[in-house]
Amino acid sequence: MTIAESSIGRISDAVRPARGTVFLALTGLLLLSAILSLAIGPTGVSLQSLPRAFAAAAGYANDASAERDRLVLIDIRLPRTLLAAFVGAALATSGAMMQGLFRNPLADPGLIGVSSGAALAAIATIVLGHGIAAPLIAPFGIYALPIAAFFGGLVTTLTLVAIASRRGELAVGTLLLAGIAIGALSGSLGGYISYASDDRELRDLTLWSMGSLSGASWQKVLAVLPFAVAILLVVPRLMRGLNGFLLGEAEAMHLGIDIERTKRLAIATTAAAVGAAVAVAGVIGFVGLVAPHVMRLISGPDHRAVLPGSAILGAILVIVADIIARMAIRPAELPIGIVLALVGAPVFLHLVLRRNISGGG
Amino acid sequence: MLEARRVSVMAGQKRLIDDVSLTIVPGRLTAVIGPNGAGKSTLLRIMAGELKPSEGAVFLDGADLRQMPVARLATRRSVVAQSTTLSFPFTVLETVMLGATVPAFGIRDDDAAIVARDALAAVGLANFEMRMLNQLSGGERQRVHIARALCQLATAPRPDTETAALLLDEPTASLDLKHQYDVLSLIKAQSTEGRAVMLVIHDLNLASAFADEIVLMAAGKIVGKGDPDDLLNEDLLSHTFGCRLRVVSSGDGGRLILPAAITRRMIIGAAAE
Amino acid sequence: MGVATRRFAIASAALTLAGLLASTSAVRSGALAADGAPPAGTVRILSLGGDVTEILYALGQSDKIVAVDTTSLFPASALKDKKSVGYLRALSSEGVLSVSPTLIIASEQAGPPEVVKAIKGSGVQYVDVEEKQTAEGVPDKVRRIGRIIGADADAQKLAAKIEADFAALDNDRKQIKVRKKALFVLAVQNGRATVGGTGTGADAILQLAGIDNAAAGVTGYKPVSDEQLAELAPDAVIVMTRGESDRHSGDLALSLPGLSQSPAAQNKSLVEMDGQYLLGFGPRAPSAAHDLMNALYSEPGKTAATP
Repeated sequence: MTIAESSIGRISDAVRPARGTVFLALTGLLLLSAILSLAIGPTGVSLQSLPRAFAAAAGYANDASAERDRLVLIDIRLPRTLLAAFVGAALATSGAMMQGLFRNPLADPGLIGVSSGAALAAIATIVLGHGIAAPLIAPFGIYALPIAAFFGGLVTTLTLVAIASRRGELAVGTLLLAGIAIGALSGSLGGYISYASDDRELRDLTLWSMGSLSGASWQKVLAVLPFAVAILLVVPRLMRGLNGFLLGEAEAMHLGIDIERTKRLAIATTAAAVGAAVAVAGVIGFVGLVAPHVMRLISGPDHRAVLPGSAILGAILVIVADIIARMAIRPAELPIGIVLALVGAPVFLHLVLRRNISGGG
Repeated sequence: MLEARRVSVMAGQKRLIDDVSLTIVPGRLTAVIGPNGAGKSTLLRIMAGELKPSEGAVFLDGADLRQMPVARLATRRSVVAQSTTLSFPFTVLETVMLGATVPAFGIRDDDAAIVARDALAAVGLANFEMRMLNQLSGGERQRVHIARALCQLATAPRPDTETAALLLDEPTASLDLKHQYDVLSLIKAQSTEGRAVMLVIHDLNLASAFADEIVLMAAGKIVGKGDPDDLLNEDLLSHTFGCRLRVVSSGDGGRLILPAAITRRMIIGAAAE
Repeated sequence: MGVATRRFAIASAALTLAGLLASTSAVRSGALAADGAPPAGTVRILSLGGDVTEILYALGQSDKIVAVDTTSLFPASALKDKKSVGYLRALSSEGVLSVSPTLIIASEQAGPPEVVKAIKGSGVQYVDVEEKQTAEGVPDKVRRIGRIIGADADAQKLAAKIEADFAALDNDRKQIKVRKKALFVLAVQNGRATVGGTGTGADAILQLAGIDNAAAGVTGYKPVSDEQLAELAPDAVIVMTRGESDRHSGDLALSLPGLSQSPAAQNKSLVEMDGQYLLGFGPRAPSAAHDLMNALYSEPGKTAATP
C-alpha cells in the first residue's frame, strides 16, 4: 500500500495493522471458505446432511441416501478440502521461504529444482509406466505417480544442494544458477521422454501439469499429514532467521542467526512440502507467489506475519479456487491450475509492473 | 576485549591478511586506516566472526570465536557493514528492531520497540520510524543501520562484565559533513560508555579527531599502531599511502592531513587571491 | 489499521458473496437433480467413452443414458441432449455422482485412477469395457454391453450384423491385387505432421481396409520430420475432420515439403473422414473401413459398404 503510493514520489508513513487482527481475520476467512467447500458441490448435498453423513459413517444409518451423503461429504469433500488447505499452505509457505532466502519477491520454490524434478519423475511414470518401467511401477498401483513425483523433487533438490555446497557452506548464488541448469536439464529429459509418449499419455501429462484435487482421498490426506506437521514445527523456527536474511547473509550472521542451518532448514522444508503438494495435486502455480505478496502488502515483510499469514492465505486461495474448479462447468471439472492462473497471472503482472516503478526495490 | 592473534587469510596463494594481531579494548575507539586493498574490511569481517581466518584465531574475552555459537556472539558484538541493502519494504522501526531479532534474546516486540526508538533518536531519526527504509537518503539509511547495531547491543541479555563490541565499516562513507560529525560523536560516545569499538575509516582527519588508537594497514599487514599523535606523521602516512601527505595545523589546535598536491593548490589559490 | 480492516471487510464480503452465489446455484442444480430423479428401479446410465456411447445408442438405449463424456461425439445429439461429465481421463468423483447414475459403463481409458477408485467405492455399479480395436473386439464389446444392460437380443443382432460387415470387408480385402500404402496424419503443427504409427487405432483401421500403413516404422502417434515424410512416400494421405468447418487440415498436410513429392500429393489422393467414425471402433467400424478401402481402391468388383 504505502510502497505503491510513495514509489511515485509521495513520502508517507507505513500502515501496519496489528498482527493479531490480521491472523484472526484470516483464520475467519479460512473457516468460512472451508465450510463453503464442504457445503458446495455438484451433487447438491448440503451441510444439513452432515449429521446423517456422520451417522452413516459411524454405522448408525444404512439407507442409501445417508450412505450417499456420507460418501459426498466425508469421503469426497472433506478430504478434498483438507488437501486443498494443505496444498495451499505448503505452496504459499514455501514460496515465502524461498523469497526470503533468495531476497527476491519473485522467487519461487521451483528455484531449488523440486518442481522440475517432480515433473520429470511424473512424466517418466506416466510414459514409461506402461512400457519398460512397468514392473518397477506396478507394485505401487495408483500411488506410483505421487510417490515418484515426491522423490523426484527431493532427489533433485538434494543434488542441487550438494552441487552448491562447499566446505559445509551453501552458496545461494550457485544454488540459483545450478537450479536453472538442472531445471533446463530435467525439462529436456522430460521432453525426450514425452516424445516417446502416445497422445493419451500426452493428455495425461498436460492434465497433471494443470493440477487437480479431484483425486483427493483420505489416503492422500494421511500421506501429507506428516508434512503438514513438519511445516507447523519448522516454520516458527525460521521466521526470525529469514528476517535477518532480508538484510543479507553476512548481516544475518551478525544478528546471531545460524545462516547455514536456516538455509538448509528452509530448503529441506520447501522440498518436502512442495514435493508432497505436487505429488497429491499435480502442478499448481501462482499460490507461492500471490499469497506471500498479498501478506507483505497487508503486514509488511516481517516473516513472523508473512509465513503464517501466507500459509492461511494460500489455504484459502486453493480452497476457493477448488470450489470454482468443481462448480464452474459441473458435472465436469476444470483443472485448478487454470483457475489459479486466471487470478494469479494478473496479480503477478501487477507485482512485476510495480517493481519496475519502484526501481526494483 | 576483542583480540585477533596472528590471524592470516588466504585467497588461493595470496595473503589478504598476513599475520595480524590486534586488540580492541573496551572503552576505546580503535580506528583502522590504510589505502584501498589494505585488508581493512577483511580484518573487520574476521573480528566480527563472519570470516574464519586461515591461520590464527580471534578471541572475545579469551573465548575463541570459532567455538562461540552465533546467537551468543550476537549478544556481545554488533556490526555495521559497508553497504547493506534491504530487499523488502521494511519501515525504519522494523529495520532497527531486526537488531533484536535473535531468538536467544527472548525480547518482546514492545520492549524491543522502546529500545529501537531510543536508538533512532540517538542517530537523529526520531520522527522516521514509520517511514519506508528504501525511501530514505543514503545517509539516513546508514544511520538506521547504525541504530540497528546499537539496538542489538542494547537489547542483548549480557552481564556488565562482558565486553560488548561495536564494529563499523566505513559508517560515514555516504554522509555529509554534519552527519559525519554526528555519527562519529555517537560512536565515540559508545566507546566512552565502555564498548570496544572498531572503526574502519578512510577519512584520516575523522580518524585523527575521534580515535583513541589508530591502526595503519597496508598490503594485509599492520604497519603501525598507536596514539593518533604519534602515528599520524607525514613520513609514515606518505610512505603507506604512496603519495606525499602533509600534516598541518588547522589553526585551532587541531590537525589536518592532506595530500601535498592539494595543499599546494590551496596555497597557489590563496596567493592568486 | 483502518485501511487493512476495511480491506478485510471487503474480502470477507466478496468471499461470502461468491459462496452464496455458488451455493444457490448448487441448490439449483441439486433441485434439478431432484426433479430428474428417477423412480426407484430405473436405470440411469453414465456412458464414458465414444465407442460405449455409440453402442448404447445403436442398441436403442439412449433414453437410459443420463450423462456422457466429451469423447462421446457420435451421435452428435449425445453431447447435446445429455449432461457432460468432462473428458473421460479427467473425471471428478462428485461430478460423476451428481448425475446420480445407477450404472457406469466406462471405457478402460477412464481416469484419473484415484477418481475411478472412489467412484467404484461409492457402490454405483461400474463396468469397465476393454478397448479392442479389432474385427472381433467390436462385436465382443457390443455383446458385453448388451449383457450388462439386459438387451441381449438386440446386442446379438447388432453384433451379428457387425460380424457380417466385417466378413464382407474381409472378402473385399482378399480381392485387392496391388496393396497401396497410406499415411494417417493426426495433426499438422508448426509445419510438422504427427502421424499414426503401429499400435494406433489408425493403424488398426488401415489394416482392416487392406491398406499398408506408410508409417509402420513409427510407434504410436509421433511427429515426424519432412525428411522422414519424404521417405514414407504414401499413395494417399488420411486426415480427420471435425465437422464441416474443418476442411483445411488435409490441404495443409499435402502441402508439407516432405509430402509434396509423394504419389499422394501428385494424385491429390486425400481422404478426409470424421474422427469418431474412422477411429471410434464402434458399430460403424466396418463401414468406416469400407469407405477407406473404397477411397483408395477404386477398381470395380467391390461390394458397397452396408451402413
